Amino acid sequence: MEQPVQTQMWKAQTLEELVQILHHLFAGDKVNVAEVQALMDSYDSNPLEWMQYAKFDQYRYTRNLVDQGNGKFNLMILCWGEGHGSSIHDHTDSHCFMKVLQGNLKETLFEWPNKKGIGEMMKKSERVLRENQCAYINDSIGLHRVENTSHTECAVSLHLYSPPFETCSTFDQRTGHKQKVRMTFYSQFGERTPCATAVLQENN
Amino acid sequence: MCRHTQTSPTLRSGLAADLASRRSAETRRLVLSQRRLPGPLPPGLARWFPALEVLDVSGTGLAALGSELLSLPRLHTLLAKNNRLGGPGSLPKGLAEAPLLGRSLRVLNLSGNRFAELPAALLGLRGLQSLSLGSNRLHSIPPEIQELRSLEFLYLGGNFITSIPPELASLPSLSYLVLCDNKIQSVPPQLAQLHSLRSLSLHNNLLTYLPREILNLVHLEELSLRGNPLVVRFVRDLTYNPPSLQELAGRTIKSRNVSYTPGDLPGNLLRYLHLASNCPNPKCGGVYFDSCVRQIKFVDFCGKYRLPLMHYLCSPECSSPCSSASQSSTSQSESDSEDEAIVAAHRMQKVLLG
Repeated sequence: MEQPVQTQMWKAQTLEELVQILHHLFAGDKVNVAEVQALMDSYDSNPLEWMQYAKFDQYRYTRNLVDQGNGKFNLMILCWGEGHGSSIHDHTDSHCFMKVLQGNLKETLFEWPNKKGIGEMMKKSERVLRENQCAYINDSIGLHRVENTSHTECAVSLHLYSPPFETCSTFDQRTGHKQKVRMTFYSQFGERTPCATAVLQENN
Repeated sequence: MCRHTQTSPTLRSGLAADLASRRSAETRRLVLSQRRLPGPLPPGLARWFPALEVLDVSGTGLAALGSELLSLPRLHTLLAKNNRLGGPGSLPKGLAEAPLLGRSLRVLNLSGNRFAELPAALLGLRGLQSLSLGSNRLHSIPPEIQELRSLEFLYLGGNFITSIPPELASLPSLSYLVLCDNKIQSVPPQLAQLHSLRSLSLHNNLLTYLPREILNLVHLEELSLRGNPLVVRFVRDLTYNPPSLQELAGRTIKSRNVSYTPGDLPGNLLRYLHLASNCPNPKCGGVYFDSCVRQIKFVDFCGKYRLPLMHYLCSPECSSPCSSASQSSTSQSESDSEDEAIVAAHRMQKVLLG
């Protein structure tokens, strides 16, 4: 007989505490999505705790690695300048939690393009995530685009991916055509880690 | 504890008193943002903070920035977003001419205000590197924008702009251009002259196609086009007005290299001949004047997406296969013969069915 899954309600008082509890939650093989989401929700964003990771780039959003989760997850902070957005992308069979630490982010959900892949991709829904709100997505739910639609404010978000992944697919909204891309970090553990820019990023 | 240094309302003198009490010859950054200021900035600002480099008055409800700024000798960054600026006199007269501020200012953020046109007071700021006017009420970009010779970063997202002046392309250092969330219907081909452009944001506009010259932006690393009604089908403009007799004569003179001297022709025809445009079809070598065929072709952009680009050809026949030997094409050149156009459509279908 299986043990009943107990969802504990955790409270992270600081970012450091959040990381510690995450290590505990991901120690085993199973991920309790509700538990992780509640934990991410519980942390009240305090810029003083994460500003060392929040490195902005003038041209596009940045990914800044915070913790490698003993190989079980990647925790990173994304910095979105005014008008910065991502392409439509999948999550390579991983869990993705996204919490807004500052500003607002618009998340647009899309259906997977069908096998024939002709024509405009279908928008499922969209919402604006406010400060401290946390969203969850995985490939079975669909694809999404995340963007900072503000022309006056920056946005910062905390992302947790488990298992960690380095490549994903991006999708052309007009045609459903997909392309594999390799993701890079702008900084790791607070240190800028430059690397050669890849091919042109067309944000479609 | 009110020091009445001037006959102004109590609150305003309160602000002046507060700032005066914080005066320092060393202060480089002054952040007054996110609290409602009772009135304009006090005139003593430059006296109290002579070393000021960064001033942030965002979100303070200011309706005008005045001459109190002009004597700040070292101010390089002025952030005044989310205020009530936009009416006449929002910016100090003589801003660009101010001997010190006019040269020191590098970054100016006026996003989230009420400007209905790009303030003329800014146009002489030859040292300005970064200008933000996002979320205002601009309907156009003045051609005088080209006077901002040092501009590298221009953010105009979230306005009501309907077109881009070709003069924008004269900005030699422009590397980041944001025009998203506007009402732009076309992009001038001259924009391809922005050799330093690294990032171009055009999403959420009214574009149906792009000029073929966009392929020349070799340093472009970021391009956003989503939310535009870009045509996806191979489109050919079927309304072709046959060329006039004058046009035909002009074409013949040019393509056959018929020689002429200024004395041979009246001035208006000389000027007309001067306006010949070369047909972009490399196999054609012809010219056209007023009569041309508009044709939208799809080009592989960096091996990724097929972008609809507008071509101007001298005649519908120009897209038909030529008997001359095929030329090798560079990775950025587009096909102009009918053969290759058919192949392109095929490939397009493959991509769509992909």
